[in-house]
Amino acid sequence: MEGSEFDEVEFFRAVQTSGARALLIGRRALVVLGLPVLTADYDFWIHIDDSAAFNRAAEPFGLVPTRAPEEARRRGRYALENLEKVDVLVARVVPTVDGVDVSFEDVWTRRRGLDLAPGVKVDLPALDDLILTKRFAARPKDLEDIRLLEVLRSAEAKNRSEL
Amino acid sequence: MSSDGHRPSAELVKRLRALSERRLSREEVEAALQTPISDSEREEILALVAWFRRRYPTPLDRLAYVRRAYRRWQNSLEPTDQRRPGEG
Repeated sequence: MEGSEFDEVEFFRAVQTSGARALLIGRRALVVLGLPVLTADYDFWIHIDDSAAFNRAAEPFGLVPTRAPEEARRRGRYALENLEKVDVLVARVVPTVDGVDVSFEDVWTRRRGLDLAPGVKVDLPALDDLILTKRFAARPKDLEDIRLLEVLRSAEAKNRSEL
Repeated sequence: MSSDGHRPSAELVKRLRALSERRLSREEVEAALQTPISDSEREEILALVAWFRRRYPTPLDRLAYVRRAYRRWQNSLEPTDQRRPGEG
């Protein structure tokens, strides 16, 4: 499948209907929220038991897993690739660089769903949790993203208090 | 920088990528997190968000825009030594 032909709506629909508990994280989550940042990949954090369902959802798009589900669980991450690349975190708990343990179950409970198209929704971590996920890899660009997200978070808090 | 003065060499792209992908230390992260966001930085970010949301009102519009923008950026960074003979 050509990268330019990748149908995002259908891809997100397939993820939603697969039943996999999947959170869009990384820069594409920032884009969905309204922050104009560039990115090449899709990043998801999925429930540790859901990689097989997630892979089945991605299969019609020509996306091939780099690791079998069992090995992916052991290593905590894998990717789905063709001309698109989907990085997948598959771990119950991920530590931030500064020592905070972040649990998928907790983040999943606090998630926010956003409508992409009629009947198609994408699940994102709450802003506080999305900021925490940016402290997993802790690259220079993650710190830039944290500043963007913090401004967004304070603006949303201000809007809520004014309602 | 390449001889045409516009496109970076493959080596420069590789070095820049390594710099931007490196994992920071706990101390570097903590120092960055403690740096306050100034009023002007805040205003600039909110203006950018307002523009992006106005120009691309739905999440789907935004995702599509970023796919196009990334392709354009990638093309502009294509190193001279990886371009096909005779290419601009």
